[in-house]
Amino acid sequence: MQKLLLTIDKISTFAGQFFSWLIVALTFMITWEVFSRYVLDNPHAWAFDVMSMMYGSLFMMAGAYTLSKNGHVRGDVLYGFFPPRLQAGLDLALYILFFVPGVFALAYAGYGYAADSWAINEHSNITANGPPVYPFKTIIPIAGAILFLQGLVEIVRCIICLQSGQWPSRGQDVEEVDVEKLKEMVNVKDEDIAKLDTLVTAKGVAK
Amino acid sequence: MKKEIWFGLSIMAAVVLAAILLLPPFAEMTNGHLGLFMLALVVVAIMLGFPTAFTLMGMGMVFAYIAYRSQNPSLAVDQTLDLMVQRAYSVMSNDVLISIPLFVFMGYLIERANLIEKLFKSMHLATARVPGSLAVATIITCAIFATATGIVGAVVTLMGLLALPAMLRAGYSVQLSAGAITAGGCLGILIPPSVMLIVYGATAGVSVVKLYAGAFFPGIMLATLYVVYVVIVAKWKPHLAPPMSAEDRRVPLPAFAQVVSTTVSDKVLPGLVGALKGKRNASVPMRELLNHMVIALLPLVSVALIMGAIFLKVTAPLPVEEVSGVVAMGGSLENSSEAESAGGLAEPEDEGGLKPPPAEEAPVAMGQAAEAPPAAEPVPAPAPVAAVPAAPAEPVVAQERLPAPASFWVALASAAVALAIFYAYFSFARLEIFKMLLGSFFPLALMILAVLGSIVFGLATPTEAAAMGSMGGLLLAAAYRRLNMAVLRESVYLTAKTSAMVCWLFVGSSIFSAAFALLGGQELINQWVLGMNLTPVEFMILAQVVIFLLGWPLEWTEIIVIFMPIFIPLLPHFGIDPLFFGLLVALNLQTAFLSPPVAMAAFYLKGVSPPQVTLNQIFAGMLPFMAIQVFAIFLLYQFPAIGLWLPETLYK
Repeated sequence: MQKLLLTIDKISTFAGQFFSWLIVALTFMITWEVFSRYVLDNPHAWAFDVMSMMYGSLFMMAGAYTLSKNGHVRGDVLYGFFPPRLQAGLDLALYILFFVPGVFALAYAGYGYAADSWAINEHSNITANGPPVYPFKTIIPIAGAILFLQGLVEIVRCIICLQSGQWPSRGQDVEEVDVEKLKEMVNVKDEDIAKLDTLVTAKGVAK
Repeated sequence: MKKEIWFGLSIMAAVVLAAILLLPPFAEMTNGHLGLFMLALVVVAIMLGFPTAFTLMGMGMVFAYIAYRSQNPSLAVDQTLDLMVQRAYSVMSNDVLISIPLFVFMGYLIERANLIEKLFKSMHLATARVPGSLAVATIITCAIFATATGIVGAVVTLMGLLALPAMLRAGYSVQLSAGAITAGGCLGILIPPSVMLIVYGATAGVSVVKLYAGAFFPGIMLATLYVVYVVIVAKWKPHLAPPMSAEDRRVPLPAFAQVVSTTVSDKVLPGLVGALKGKRNASVPMRELLNHMVIALLPLVSVALIMGAIFLKVTAPLPVEEVSGVVAMGGSLENSSEAESAGGLAEPEDEGGLKPPPAEEAPVAMGQAAEAPPAAEPVPAPAPVAAVPAAPAEPVVAQERLPAPASFWVALASAAVALAIFYAYFSFARLEIFKMLLGSFFPLALMILAVLGSIVFGLATPTEAAAMGSMGGLLLAAAYRRLNMAVLRESVYLTAKTSAMVCWLFVGSSIFSAAFALLGGQELINQWVLGMNLTPVEFMILAQVVIFLLGWPLEWTEIIVIFMPIFIPLLPHFGIDPLFFGLLVALNLQTAFLSPPVAMAAFYLKGVSPPQVTLNQIFAGMLPFMAIQVFAIFLLYQFPAIGLWLPETLYK
């Protein structure tokens, strides 16, 4: 069981990280397109469609990855102050109430949506002779399914937390504000910060 | 701990109570009331701490189903599913949101180029004479860095590591230091290119280009107000921000500069010229002198090129005269500048490894020197002599030929005067500061201005500009030798997570707001607000107060994607421009970052400050800056031209 959960975690992380490299491709593609249009005078009609497909696949596929790293924005006015058991209980209830039906519906609806698109061999109509859209629409059920699986993992995490009283650890990942890394980047050490304390207290006394 | 829980619980209770009091009893409830109930419910659900995107999605689905079922029970399930998938697809193919990952990517790359330390140090030295210079430098550094990166947490943490120790050591009060760092760090979400404005643009259907043009001056205004406040405090209560000692202000000079400044002249231009021409000190290598000459002349060259370009543009309709005019005008100026920029090209080769700044500067110089023959012999000796007097002489030459507008000559003259003053005070110590700025401030400022300028002047769409910005970020990181696989991978993954966070929130909120509209909650709110017979001013104040209050428990993303769709349809009734409203909201949401007890900025700062600095001290330090923000909202409201002038001049 535990192993299965970790595997799902890994799958969604891998899928998210794999698709996240699209941002580099997107950067280069648009830069090239701008160069091609203004300097070579050779704009491509498909560029716009491809751009939005890259962006759409990027964020849809990263949804499960973000969830597995607890990266979706939460209102943590209160949440942050709750004890872990209460957090887990609330999360569990809301996963079952909102997440499971919502994401399942999205994935299911996305399946039908993509199937229709495949059936009519749909092409983009933004420009004449646009690129095919059906692979892009297929992203919705795939991303939905991975997200759904990841949600199940999160539910199990909540249950584990309810039993043991503390959150099971998550896979290591790069963080937006990694204080240790930032400290290293600007060459500040913990002792330096601790030393400042004397300044703060000295000032407090002097006042 | 307890306090916060009670605070949150009381807000929740207030929302539920208000919902119960305002809504009719269950039997008389219409779908519209159900919509309002859903809105109250979602605020409570968000505060419970579940990921907002999925709260919105789940709730939107349930209520959309209810709405459809009341119309036609047999179709309700299919309709709900269609609605969900179509909403999701519309977010996936949204041509406004597409710039979010690109700007985020640019931000992470710039953050990792590690410019901030240099930036802070050089800003600090450059502002040394201003009262409260450290705090002023902090705010300016924050403003620039936060604008380029847009990551509040990282900027506040980094400045907490760099600026807070510096300020405490200099004897600044904890409150003032904390306030300057937190307030400055949040500027990035207002000053374009900011993600918040994209999110607002996508939600409200306002052009992001106009929003960027509009938010530029309010952002600068807010930063200026902060600086003014700090300067006043430092003047008024010097014990809170003591001036720097002469010792701290001293800039260490390189060996050659010491020699030249003692033997020839303390000022850069006469000093360098003297050293080059006559009594050449054996100890000073010619190459170094020339390199510094090039750097020293960069301001002159850039002013000359900018004014030349404007001159070309202004006098464009008269092609024949234009050519002669330019030649006459260029005259002595162009000669010297060509030589200098050619030197600029050669420069990075010998010291690129030691100093990234010239390497970064090189592309600029290259661009400027595009027409300069690469083989031009450096003849710097006559340059300084010819350059300054040349400026006043030009009008005489050119006036006979071309009807350039008087304002151009006024601008040219004032630029010349400014340059003359600049060079009169340009000592070797200042040259060192200038070199530091070249390595930190100018590349960033240039990049921001290039990205913004190309968007605002319509040269590129925001998406294209964002992609070019990311490319610039890559180049910048490479120029500072920070670009490696690990950094790139981190930036890419972080970009994916941040974009997924924002865009999934959009998926959720668009399903939610569709359900809200289906239930008719919007009409009910419209009727209710219009029934209050508010004047536009009252409505404006009401809206801003509501947003301000929401800023306490919620984050800006949630406020914009959930509540803006409710406010925006009301705007036409009161004749309020959604663009103007957006600017006010953007200013207003700045306070959301600084209002206790959920002020993100304060927690980031607390994480890296010495243990004796308490959260309360940080909060206390932020309060005056919050007051300034409210004052800024007031100013913008009183003088809408601050925000609207630029978009109106450019797009009408």
